[in-house]
Amino acid sequence: MLTLPEKLLFIIFAILSIYLTYIGFSQIIVAVRKGQPEYYSRSNRLFERIREAFVRTIGQTPVLKSRPLVGVFHSFIFYGFTFYLLVNLIDLIEGLLPPSFAPLSGSPISSWFRLGSDVLGFLVLVGVIFFVWRRFVSRDTKLERFNDSVLLQAEVRAGGIRMDSLIVAGFIFFHVGFRLFEAGSLLAAEGRLDPWQPVATLIARVVGFGPDRIIGWHIGWWLSLGLILLFLPYFVRSKHIHIFVAPIRLGLGRRAATGEKIGSGALDPLNFEDENVEQFGVAKLEQLRWSQVLDAYACIQCNRCTNVCPAHETGKALAPSAIEINKRYELNSIRATLAKGAESPRPVMEFALSESALWACTTCGACVGICPVGCEPLIDIVDLRRDAVMTKAQFPQDLNSAFRNLERAGNPWGLAQDNRKDWAKEIAAPTVEENPDFDVLYWVGCAGAYDPSAQKIARAFTEILHHAKVRFAILGNSEKCTGDLARRAGNEYLYQNLGAENVQILNAALGNRDKRVVATCPHCFNALANDYPQLGGKYRVMHHTQLISELVSDNRLPELILDENITYHDPCYLGRHNGIYDAPRQVLNGPKRIIEMQRSRENSFCCGAGGAQFWKEEEPGNTRVTENRFQEAQATGAQVIAAGCPFCKSMLSSSESAGETGAPLVLDVAELVAENLRRVKSKLGIG
Amino acid sequence: MKILVPIKRVVDYTVKVRVKPDGSGVDLNNVKMSMNPFDEIGVEEAIRLKERGIASEVVVVSLGSGACQETIRTALAMGADRGVLVETDLELQPLGIARLLKALVLKEQPQLVILGKQAIDDDSNQTGQMLAGLLNWPQGTFASKLEIADGRATVTREVDGGLETLELPLPAVITTDLRLNEPRYTTLPNIMKAKRRPLDVLQVADLPAEAVPSIKTLKVQPPQPRKPGIRVSSVEELVRKLREEAKVI
Repeated sequence: MLTLPEKLLFIIFAILSIYLTYIGFSQIIVAVRKGQPEYYSRSNRLFERIREAFVRTIGQTPVLKSRPLVGVFHSFIFYGFTFYLLVNLIDLIEGLLPPSFAPLSGSPISSWFRLGSDVLGFLVLVGVIFFVWRRFVSRDTKLERFNDSVLLQAEVRAGGIRMDSLIVAGFIFFHVGFRLFEAGSLLAAEGRLDPWQPVATLIARVVGFGPDRIIGWHIGWWLSLGLILLFLPYFVRSKHIHIFVAPIRLGLGRRAATGEKIGSGALDPLNFEDENVEQFGVAKLEQLRWSQVLDAYACIQCNRCTNVCPAHETGKALAPSAIEINKRYELNSIRATLAKGAESPRPVMEFALSESALWACTTCGACVGICPVGCEPLIDIVDLRRDAVMTKAQFPQDLNSAFRNLERAGNPWGLAQDNRKDWAKEIAAPTVEENPDFDVLYWVGCAGAYDPSAQKIARAFTEILHHAKVRFAILGNSEKCTGDLARRAGNEYLYQNLGAENVQILNAALGNRDKRVVATCPHCFNALANDYPQLGGKYRVMHHTQLISELVSDNRLPELILDENITYHDPCYLGRHNGIYDAPRQVLNGPKRIIEMQRSRENSFCCGAGGAQFWKEEEPGNTRVTENRFQEAQATGAQVIAAGCPFCKSMLSSSESAGETGAPLVLDVAELVAENLRRVKSKLGIG
Repeated sequence: MKILVPIKRVVDYTVKVRVKPDGSGVDLNNVKMSMNPFDEIGVEEAIRLKERGIASEVVVVSLGSGACQETIRTALAMGADRGVLVETDLELQPLGIARLLKALVLKEQPQLVILGKQAIDDDSNQTGQMLAGLLNWPQGTFASKLEIADGRATVTREVDGGLETLELPLPAVITTDLRLNEPRYTTLPNIMKAKRRPLDVLQVADLPAEAVPSIKTLKVQPPQPRKPGIRVSSVEELVRKLREEAKVI
């Protein structure tokens, strides 16, 4: 127990610390609550949310998944710290109240408690030493490496994150270290060894035994618990606040009103009903939805997102983590005035990211997929693009013609609507009117309709449908662009106009029949499956590789006999955004299994086309995204790169290395299956 | 300074034009219509002059059916201040339009009229010149650059083999070429605001001008479809076919 002056001092110190911490926390809460309302629910199914957050936090899976070794050391600190909540509480009681109140004394779990605090405390020290070594000695470049062109707050440029890390690490090290010293000193003073506290016993041996060693207990108590009080007011501005915010953020995923989870493929719609609104998208911090404000405090600044970002990887000015970090530093500096009701002083584009960064994003979703705390920087980017396009009309010139073509011709190429069915001049593709008894509606998409390379995909898939005797129909000339590129480029208004027309056409074509809609383009697939429910269009959408896989298992298509070495490129809007990884692989695994690239499935690397990049010049960097990906595919030694997206096919086959002699061919899964059909037929002598 | 910008509603450039089966004209049923692209350049140029503080008001005018209001709203969303629709069902031809525009110019008293050099539907390329003639104003046609200073317009025009620069005293008529500017993308707040900007609707009878067509359309027919080409296997075959089948050598 402490002496009376010590107790009084501690209580005064505690009140002061808790008061300052409370002010910091309440300012953050005000800033978050100033955020705009969400479209999807982030609070329904509360029990499931709590369970999800709990399981992921306790299991440490989000941390272990992407960086296993780091994850192990992180879990040392996590489990140790969690246990130390209890340790600190008991220490507090033991320090302030008479020994008769000591909660665990004499209880059988007391030994286990001592063992836990001893061993876990030691593991925390090991973890912290590892992290300090990693950041300051081995200098892991994954942690803080940003391309020179990335916009960073001055404080961050000056090494703010390193300083923050050092303070946090120092706190953890000394807090836990002095707790062990405290326990060791107590043993030393009492002159005994405790087999349940091997580390403390070792410390006791080092400090030497004697009743005067009780002074070590006092020092240890003050430095372990007092340090918490000293650290708390700083804690709210440090990256360490993630220990509170991250578990909460993990439970705040988007869900529909009915409860099902909303994946990264869907964007939150804007409402254009109110004609007095003059701001669309996000220009200022307080125009962010509240979850986006919270992201700034959930972010632990680990840079996982930046490490996997195709734009950053190819030398561009975009770093998703920098957006969250810059938001955090901005909020830290203005949250006191925000809490008093002032407006944020400057636009987000002045501190969070540069214009080139804004337009470098391919919306591939890698950042959202890998974030261990559930942040969604991609949503920020789209919201900022909305402001740039709809409120300010300041966007890359190239997109001007894409938008105009969408408005006028219903396709980004600006080709005549009446020519939309020209791809099927030499192959039968009945329209809904011509074949009202269809089972499957084939959504061709603008690429399939107009782009010569993608027309081959559409024809190959049609050939497959005919062979498998699938009763299908197309919309013909009444189909229009889904609006995916407009939406991902921030032109929500144009997207909603196109979407509303398409939903009307689809609803008329499908009636009340529960028909399937199949798309050969993952961007169309994603719009139909994830965007259109917001516009009242709910369809059973599938990707052509899923239908082909089904037809093969039903023996309506022959097994693969192609013996080429094939590697498969996961399109972002099929894989990461919609979780379809297996169907194309099932189709392509024939006599030879496909050769996987290093970055595949959820770790797939973008081709560079998404987020309207296909329709503009790539932002400045050191290489093209496509080139980076093509070289990876080429390194597998495959003869064929199979893709499941006309834009991936187009990008990859136009990369610099694709032009070299002997470079692998880029083909769609449907083209390979159609080629397989031809080979099977000629083998059987019926071709 | 006030600028008047006449705009025409035409079949959109992305539409594959169909001729009515009876040959009486172009089929406009369910066809996407939009502002003549050269006129859009005219609107953009006028708005830029206003943004630079040179012009004080930009008035757009369109002649034709009530549907032209939509085209005028597009120009208002780009940034024009006011719209005028001269409603008529008459078949409008360049001379008739130029006469109606002259009447409007006398009413509105602009210092500058900026028109597209031609409309992409009939490709007449006459209205601007006729208007200048009727008004007895100087004209700078096919402008690829326009500067206004001290009551004079300096117009750079693209002519065969180079650029010609003219200086005209105001008031004047300017017609736009493709390279004068790239029209802006309208922002959503401006689209909303455009709905509240004034748009006056006049009838042809309200203007002291004759717009009766002076030319009669006899027949409209689509161009002959091109015959598909054939692939020849050798130079000899090509020469033989050119001589025997095409009879051109």
